[in-house]
Amino acid sequence: MKEVSQLQTRYEYGGDEFIFVQLSEAMSLEANFKGMAITRKLKEANLEGVYDICPSNASYMVRFDPEIIAPQALLEKLQQIERDLGGLDEITITSRLVDVPVYFNDPWTHEALMRFRDRHQAPDSTDLEYSAKINGYANTDDFIEAITSAPFLVSMIGFVPGLPWCFQMVRQEKQIEVPKYVRPRTFTPERAFGFGGAFSVIYPVQGAGGYQLYGIAPAPIYQKEQTLFDFQDSIVFPKQGDIFRYRSIHADEYQAIREQVEDGSFVYHKKEIRFTPGEVLSDLEAFAERALRRLYHD
Amino acid sequence: MINVKKPGLQTTVQDRGRIGYYEIGMPPSGAMDKYAFTVANLLVGNDPNAAVLEITYLGPVLEFGKAMKISLTGGEIPPRINGQPVPMWTTLEVREGDQLSFDFVKGGARVYLAIEGGIAVPLIMGSRSTYTLIGIGGFEGRAVAEGDVIYTADMRKKEIPVGTRIDPDLIPAYSKTHEIRVVVGLCSYRLTEESKQTFLDTEWTVTPEANRTGYRHRGEKLHFVEREQPFGAGSNPSNVTDLGYPIGSIQVPDGVEPIVLLHDAVTGGGYATIATVISSDLDRMAQVKTNEKVRFVSVSLEEALEARRTVKQKLGVIAQFIEIGM
Amino acid sequence: MAEKTAIVSPLPGIFYRRPSPDSPEFVQAGEAIKVGDVIGLIEVMKNYYEIKAEEDGVVDQFVVGDEELVDAGQELVTLTK
Repeated sequence: MKEVSQLQTRYEYGGDEFIFVQLSEAMSLEANFKGMAITRKLKEANLEGVYDICPSNASYMVRFDPEIIAPQALLEKLQQIERDLGGLDEITITSRLVDVPVYFNDPWTHEALMRFRDRHQAPDSTDLEYSAKINGYANTDDFIEAITSAPFLVSMIGFVPGLPWCFQMVRQEKQIEVPKYVRPRTFTPERAFGFGGAFSVIYPVQGAGGYQLYGIAPAPIYQKEQTLFDFQDSIVFPKQGDIFRYRSIHADEYQAIREQVEDGSFVYHKKEIRFTPGEVLSDLEAFAERALRRLYHD
Repeated sequence: MINVKKPGLQTTVQDRGRIGYYEIGMPPSGAMDKYAFTVANLLVGNDPNAAVLEITYLGPVLEFGKAMKISLTGGEIPPRINGQPVPMWTTLEVREGDQLSFDFVKGGARVYLAIEGGIAVPLIMGSRSTYTLIGIGGFEGRAVAEGDVIYTADMRKKEIPVGTRIDPDLIPAYSKTHEIRVVVGLCSYRLTEESKQTFLDTEWTVTPEANRTGYRHRGEKLHFVEREQPFGAGSNPSNVTDLGYPIGSIQVPDGVEPIVLLHDAVTGGGYATIATVISSDLDRMAQVKTNEKVRFVSVSLEEALEARRTVKQKLGVIAQFIEIGM
Repeated sequence: MAEKTAIVSPLPGIFYRRPSPDSPEFVQAGEAIKVGDVIGLIEVMKNYYEIKAEEDGVVDQFVVGDEELVDAGQELVTLTK
């Protein structure tokens, strides 16, 4: 069985209010699961003076009040949690599995990306065509199939409120990797589905952006009015540790979901799933199969 | 109530900030200079977290709809009431119809205007601070504009006599060159030893891109240790696997123009962070203007904590003085 | 002799004499201007702030060039009345 061992942890103070812990310089599911396990334990410890616990891709960060909890004491506590963590088979993670519809090749993101061809590596093709090609796919349909056939782990939330960084739960050789735009766009539609480096994202709000654009999600991931069911407790929907399955939809389903969002009846289709990182890492294909079965058939 | 005749460059409602939402990508916002903010509220007897107006570079013109006590603290943007100069760091009283205006900025960058009772805006996620990027908090999620009417809340705790003023020794001096203390660390291992030294030796110039999200500095080019970029980190040597950015952390995209991230900044991303401005000097950073000079001085965590205690002690002295002065 | 006055920048930032890179300059030396006429822009904090004449006059000369950095209180343009 695989143990948490090949990662090299680095503890650093970020001024007098932050501790930053880098678990690995490289992104991996293993590093992300480890960060998730540590930050969840830290949350359970409910330490006085700890304000923010922020798991990220291969690291995590804690904000604290040094007058309530001494920085050195907190750092030692974090080290102790890491030591007590045990192997990847001893950690149980409970996550939400979520069906996230995406309308690939939609007219809105297409229009946006065509406006900025002069800032792109391949001005004569679309972002989908370019990304399919450099990742060795024969056409964009095969590329979309690769994105939609295996789930993504929400490995980090941030940059702006609610933005989920999603890392596909496949072996490293099957990971899609794409560069960011040569120069960032000044416009990206709200809810655009993009890809940059090894991560997919959904843009919570309209704005600048440098990720390759493939499509648009009909359902919001950020709703400041909090009228939809999934936003009752928070203005953002994604949580670190969620598992998203991007499902390719067409114009008619896009319209139908948009209407549900508008009339307030939309609810994300989701299920709870429990797993150990060891089980996931030892057979990613089996996990993907289990996750999709649980999401749509159980 | 207060009528906004002219808004100034960027005048926003701020309090201590929206704490505890960093994990969903929400920066805290809040007053950039917490020292000046705290004193402003003390001078009008407010709850320490009452909302104030933060005024940047160019002051607004405001007309008071009723008599009230106010105070102005922070950088030197000299205030006038009905055209007559009035002192800062002092409890003032205005009458109905009085107009507050400001001269050009002389020193510092931001002034805090506290009004008796605080500013009445809805509490969003525990704070009244404005976060303009997504348009939440403060006055309708934006900077105030001409024609806005601002109402006062009832967060006054004490009656403070008009004319109460702060000991000049406790008022910060604002120069055009600044030493900002940092704790070097985070991903500083990515910089070459030479560039670490260059970062500390350079006198940086603050660019026009200096606002509540961050301050960008022009100066020397910094270099990163050569390596094969790890999986997921991106291709530029200044890139790392996306991580969280502490408030006050400094990043150097492509090795040019270090950016100090401040209270409205993005909460994470893919640039190596190399140092963090200590909490007491975030207040001082808030009073740095475009075109001014900044030198980053490396301190230990112990020194950072000592500086923090010193600020707290000063605020304690001020609070006590205002209490006894009654 | 005509009286000379100056328009000063209320802000630190970058001074622009044109509304956009392809547009002509707001005003030229020798041109008569009126109260409220825009003579340039100051860019700071990703904002553009219009610099307006506060009195009528004739533009004598630009003390600061296009796209130069200025400080708050610095003279931008001198006017003759």
